[in-house]
Amino acid sequence: MRRKTLTDRVALFGHSAIEAVAILGRSTLFLFHALFGRSTSGGGFQLLVKQLYSVGVMSLAIVVVSGMFIGMVLALQGFSILSKYGSAQATGQMVALTLLRELGPVVTALLFAGRAGSALTAEIGNMKSTEQLSSLEMIGVDPLKHIAAPRLWAGFVSLPVLALIFSVVGIWGGSWVAIDWLGVYSGSFWANMQNSVTFNTDVLNGVIKSVVFAFVVTWIAVFQGYDCEPTSEGISRATTKTVVYASLAVLGLDFILTALMFGDF
Amino acid sequence: MQNRTLEVGVGLFLLAGILALLLLALRVSGLAATPSADTYKLYAYFDNIAGLTVRAKVSMAGVTIGKVTAIDLDRDNFTGRVTMQVDKKVDNLPIDSTASILTAGLLGEKYVGISVGGDDKLLTNGGTIHDTQSSLVLEDLIGKFLLNSVGKDAKDAK
Amino acid sequence: MSADNAYAVELKGVSFKRGSRSIFNNVDIRIPKGKVTGIMGPSGCGKTTLLRLMGAQLRPSAGEVWVNGQNLPKLSRSDLFDARKHMGVLFQSGALFTDLDVFENVAFPLRVHTELPEEMIRDIVLMKLQAVGLRGAVELMPDELSGGMKRRVALARAIAMDPQILMYDEPFVGQDPIAMGVLVRLIRLLNDALGITSVVVSHDLAETASIADYIYVVGDGQVLGQGTPEELMGSDNPRIRQFMKGDPDGPVPFHFPAPALDADFLGKR
Repeated sequence: MRRKTLTDRVALFGHSAIEAVAILGRSTLFLFHALFGRSTSGGGFQLLVKQLYSVGVMSLAIVVVSGMFIGMVLALQGFSILSKYGSAQATGQMVALTLLRELGPVVTALLFAGRAGSALTAEIGNMKSTEQLSSLEMIGVDPLKHIAAPRLWAGFVSLPVLALIFSVVGIWGGSWVAIDWLGVYSGSFWANMQNSVTFNTDVLNGVIKSVVFAFVVTWIAVFQGYDCEPTSEGISRATTKTVVYASLAVLGLDFILTALMFGDF
Repeated sequence: MQNRTLEVGVGLFLLAGILALLLLALRVSGLAATPSADTYKLYAYFDNIAGLTVRAKVSMAGVTIGKVTAIDLDRDNFTGRVTMQVDKKVDNLPIDSTASILTAGLLGEKYVGISVGGDDKLLTNGGTIHDTQSSLVLEDLIGKFLLNSVGKDAKDAK
Repeated sequence: MSADNAYAVELKGVSFKRGSRSIFNNVDIRIPKGKVTGIMGPSGCGKTTLLRLMGAQLRPSAGEVWVNGQNLPKLSRSDLFDARKHMGVLFQSGALFTDLDVFENVAFPLRVHTELPEEMIRDIVLMKLQAVGLRGAVELMPDELSGGMKRRVALARAIAMDPQILMYDEPFVGQDPIAMGVLVRLIRLLNDALGITSVVVSHDLAETASIADYIYVVGDGQVLGQGTPEELMGSDNPRIRQFMKGDPDGPVPFHFPAPALDADFLGKR
């Protein structure tokens, strides 16, 4: 076996760069076809409901538990730092703003990528390897509309909903720790929070973030399943790619969005 | 299969999301604030509005009666002009009332506090508060302190 | 050019490339109507690709694919959708939809292509399952079925719309003798009873030869030979002979290309 020379490595690098561009193109065409292509069979709504259940409702457990714990930890940490400056009453606004602006959308998106995203990729990859997608095609049903589209729309709708629930549960958990355990006065906790949290800048921006994340995470998850090698090794590789790419994309987009929304410097 | 459970589950899920949004809107961000229809406009000119931002509250005796809606520079007098929307129910402000830019708490934000004057004539929509006190700037405060202590030393030395 | 009516499927001058690799070069295949035709060849010669070309899942780089009098690559989307009503495919692993039960799987094509009322759909589904001998399994989920049963349900699904052409992709792979016997019997039975055309892609010589009326042997991107099973057995072509007899060495060599023996064992590599 000849060892790889420098030229070989450069050639490989160029090859992967071109491959990456091809994948971007393929995934965009995939997305457009799935979302806006004409459907040949009905029953789209039923499929959507089914996917909303398996993607959204089934992720509730992890989102609620994580939200609660994160809210509680935020209150604990926030309290310990703020009380040094005699501003323990600001704990409420700190917890709320952190959750609404950042942790709600981002952590929910990361959890979603890990739980629902990887499940989507594995499911579709499995369907590909057992030739179910080919069967659909031969029966005359477009697999992109029948399989991919409902899952895409389900993801776009579920993630923002999950992010909102995460924030609410987190704030509630934080309030429980701050008020009942750490002794922050409940009046100032909520009043300070209400005074500093604005619906437009904080809540809505958080929702916008989670909508953007929903789009990216679901797109990556469904495409990776569709595009994978139809072998068990290929499926496991694709699932890993989904989690890694989706997580990195969420974090990168979060930076850009935060700079756009809150960085009026 | 269990179609019914599916649909109910999804419906509840979406409802929970809407509920969360409402909760956030009302309880967390205090969205149920003064609707702008029931307010009237007042202006105030300040030498220095440092730290005051749009949407800061306008209060009297500690009670919020409105909010700041715009801050611009008056080109002719080189002062800052603050536009405020005040609750219509507070329609008995005398025209010699004072507007000051105050700080809420140690880390707090700036807000506009209004104290009453004694005149019979009242402020109406579009009226201007002439008696104003600017925001406290830290450097001026230190300067004043130093000046005072230098003056005192000088006096003692005499 | 139009299609000849004695043939259900005609591939005329079909070439297919995957990337820069040429899989098929100017291939002519004619599948006679109403008969069972086998397509055989060594592994990886592209037999499944041929099936996919016939089913319009793939487009040829050159040539025409005529099925039931229509040139498939030139059809519009809706015409292709209609054409698919008359084709049934049995995939290698059965490819049942794992989230639907047996009934819904077989009913699927009916729901997609027709607006029949529920009672009629139920009758048709049960009839098709009866034909493959699995009417009693109607409420099971695919993961409760054995491999052979999965294929039979998939077969029931493939004949749900009473297609004119049935294509089988490696139906005999990994089957025990009983399951094999069942399948062989079903393929022949369905072909004769329903008057359809069957195309069986396989590399299982014995089984295919026992039911096929005509066989194409494919390899190296072209048709190596064709004829009835008896004709092929007595063929002169060395490649066909190696395949039909199962010789380990011949035109398809036993040894993967390697340097000379003494280079590896006596000298330095």
